[in-house]
Amino acid sequence: MRKFFPVEELARDERFNKITMKDRQNDPRSVFAADGEGDSKRANFRLTPARRDASDGARGLMHGIFVGEIQALEGAGRTCWDFETETEAPFALKLDMARQCWDEARHVEISVKLSDWMGTEIGQYAENTVLFEAACSTDPVMRLAGVNRALEGLAIDVFTTMKEFGDLAGDPYLEFCEDWMLADEVTHVKMGSDWLRKMTEKDPERRNKALEFQSVVDKLFSYGGTRSDSSESPIGLARRFRELAGFTDEEVESIADVSLQALNERKLAVAKMLGAADSLTAAAAGE
Amino acid sequence: MADPYKARAPFAPWDRRTLPGLFDVEESARRVGNFKWAEMKLFEALGGWVATVPELDVKMRLGTHCYKHAWHAELWHKRLPELREMNPDRLTVAANDAMTRFVEAMTEPEAADQTIEKLVGVYRVFIPRFIAAYTYHLNGTSEITDAPTIRTLKLILQDEFEDWRDGEMMIQSLIETPEEVARAAAHQQKLETIMIEAGGLAGPGTLGSQ
Amino acid sequence: MTITVIPETFSYVSFDADLIRRVTGDLATSLGLEGHPITVEVDETTPLARTRIDITDGIKIRADSGAFEDTRKPRQQSETATATSLGRVLLRARDRLSGGFGEAPPDNELSLAQIAAWETYSIGRLERLGIPVNRQRWLYNFRNRHGFTDAGDGAFDQLWRSEGLTWGELCAISAAAAMAVTPT
Repeated sequence: MRKFFPVEELARDERFNKITMKDRQNDPRSVFAADGEGDSKRANFRLTPARRDASDGARGLMHGIFVGEIQALEGAGRTCWDFETETEAPFALKLDMARQCWDEARHVEISVKLSDWMGTEIGQYAENTVLFEAACSTDPVMRLAGVNRALEGLAIDVFTTMKEFGDLAGDPYLEFCEDWMLADEVTHVKMGSDWLRKMTEKDPERRNKALEFQSVVDKLFSYGGTRSDSSESPIGLARRFRELAGFTDEEVESIADVSLQALNERKLAVAKMLGAADSLTAAAAGE
Repeated sequence: MADPYKARAPFAPWDRRTLPGLFDVEESARRVGNFKWAEMKLFEALGGWVATVPELDVKMRLGTHCYKHAWHAELWHKRLPELREMNPDRLTVAANDAMTRFVEAMTEPEAADQTIEKLVGVYRVFIPRFIAAYTYHLNGTSEITDAPTIRTLKLILQDEFEDWRDGEMMIQSLIETPEEVARAAAHQQKLETIMIEAGGLAGPGTLGSQ
Repeated sequence: MTITVIPETFSYVSFDADLIRRVTGDLATSLGLEGHPITVEVDETTPLARTRIDITDGIKIRADSGAFEDTRKPRQQSETATATSLGRVLLRARDRLSGGFGEAPPDNELSLAQIAAWETYSIGRLERLGIPVNRQRWLYNFRNRHGFTDAGDGAFDQLWRSEGLTWGELCAISAAAAMAVTPT
């Protein structure tokens, strides 16, 4: 078995269809261009039961969590294998990653059960492999920044949104399960924060590089404004739980800025695209 | 109530533990170091394989078992300094070259269509060797002086039996044709041959001398 | 039967206007709507899955591209999703056109619970027409609007099995289910 496993080769059964971030970015459609009718709901996309498409939105997000957990499991597993003990990664770090494997495996189990409860089939939605891409770095510190701090940080935001959704809808299982998973994710982020600090204690350059990488990944995970403080984003930023996980106020603000920036960039791109489309239509009509 | 000051035997009549054991401190530490090395190699392989197996149930099981073996490695890591080995890394080694080759051969399969080989290596060859080596140690070591190792062995063996059963059931559910039976047997034979050369988890004498 | 699909060719998504026409035609025939001209307009600039219908002058359906999309393969069309989305709105149109739903408010004034109840009633009928549906998906949707209770599940079953309901009957079933979660 090779060291460092390419994302394209992640093994899946016939039910799954993998897509890349590039595929997603190539999709010119956007929810921000959705409404030609002045629908006031357009300004609020936060996933709550009040949304008209709430059930399908929750099902889609739940499937996203499911495949995200599979990739998180695979990422943690690869960290156990890819790095030589002590010379490349401390023994205790690898033990933490093995523990994370078990946690993520449980999360996959929980997600399968929840998806079934919500009426979603395994593989019903395309699987974006961007999460595993963040777990492909050849530097364990970068991997901790990308996976434990950015990816697991996103998981905190997603689980908080879903927990609140379950609570508001009165769903007895959703709120219960998300709360348990949230507890694990806070632990994983904390694990990442602690190891990042410990492993770069005497190497500020490596630490800066890792934090920079985390910021890039954070922005990637906020692509299209999926996650931000704005109510236009389906997923909010879970400030309280991020604080518990060891993010400083400054770090949370920085993620909030990056996420909002991603949202605004997408809106601008859509506006430009629609402008171009309108011009083409007008030209075709001879205006 | 009986008189609390009346002299009682220090070992109750039902406590039949005895003092003699097969291993001195040094030998016990050597074996524990080999155990730790083997558990480490196993948890690393299981973690690495997660991304390579398409079967969802197997993927989740490997993730779960990965942690259990990491935990075993940690238990042995903590036991080593108690056995006068203040530098646990010194004894965290393969029993011999053949054992290193065994792990290399066991971890060779990577392709998505080799789940049978991956599982056979772990659950039909390696884990039965763990169970054997741990059982021998459990039965042979001093029941009084080496009690901490015994406790660890009992905890670990519980996991090993459960994982072995999980793994064997996964293999049985994956093997459906005579060709797959042959594949499983061929791989097992290949690995057993190297394991025989290695002599077991702790080298020749892992199960004592016949 | 006149069926118009707008646009005829798609640039944001790989949809087939002929497939949309055929599915619409089959559904219209099954539902006895052959006499009505039908227009299906797809907004391919959005991945959302909303559908809207106007029956004032023929049947005009406006659907976001997500309504016909194969969720496994983004931007590709799914015949099942197309049939399910069109079937839902066409059944709603038939309910309104055939009487018994005269007092139903316009679509944009329906409450979330009323929408879920009407969807359940429609999807149950679609299943009996042979269109593949995931019952649990719709049960989850109904529960989100009527509570996670035995009474709610009973109401769901009743709506799912029903044929020929009136708006008043549908609302009564929905309201009874919602009552089961209202704190006393």
